Amino acid sequence: MLQPALFFRMESKMKKPTIIGNSIRIPSSQDYLVDIDSFLEGILRGYGMGESTIADIAISVTEIVNNSIIHGNKSDIRKEVSVSIAKRNSEIEITITDQGEGFDPTAVENPVEDKNLMREVGRGIFIVKSLMDSVTIDAKKHKGTQVILTKRI
Amino acid sequence: MKLSALEKNGVVVLEPKGKIMGGPDATILHDKLHEFIENGKKKVVIDMAKVEWMNSTGLGILISGLITLRNNRGELRLANVTGKIQSLLTITKLITAFEAFDSVEDAVKSFQD
Repeated sequence: MLQPALFFRMESKMKKPTIIGNSIRIPSSQDYLVDIDSFLEGILRGYGMGESTIADIAISVTEIVNNSIIHGNKSDIRKEVSVSIAKRNSEIEITITDQGEGFDPTAVENPVEDKNLMREVGRGIFIVKSLMDSVTIDAKKHKGTQVILTKRI
Repeated sequence: MKLSALEKNGVVVLEPKGKIMGGPDATILHDKLHEFIENGKKKVVIDMAKVEWMNSTGLGILISGLITLRNNRGELRLANVTGKIQSLLTITKLITAFEAFDSVEDAVKSFQD
């Protein structure tokens, strides 16, 4: 068991969500998904987007962030996931980056095949591709994974 | 996500509220279902009226609940599935796995039929 003084030092060093402009960085814990959602909603509402489109984007980004936390950063709290938003003419571009070993989230079986239908996991990317207009995945070994989502508005 | 529960005619009605996106959400419903199963209550309706949206974690929670109840000779049915969740169930073909009703009353009544 950790000595109280050591535990306190570790706690005080734990990272918190950091927002700078249109970007947010979170430690690799699903406890911070609500911070990602609040951040997205604030910015997208500011762009005047409708609730349905905001929901599509929030669903998709939380999917990718879940992947980044669990499969990318292996839930290592010292590693971070960053999300940034940019508005370009008639589309929103969201970039999600982790600090993991690089993984290909598309390397899953087709979730709508009968044999996979009742699986509890494995349909995240399928959903993201159906809600977004484009999904670009750049997985670099030992250099993390970057996912870029775009949605026409 | 917040979760409340009540009973109607021997059927447990679970009322999740908010967004289901992952992390603590997954264990809340799982733990509640097991609590009811241990108490012999295996007819469950999930009222989706106050769920704003869910991602694949939420769908996984629903599937887990359905399988858990069926393995214990119970059944899980859905009520008030809203547009966004209805479309997710459709594109993932999970609409074929769940019995869904327009109201909690209809879902509860279906257990008596």
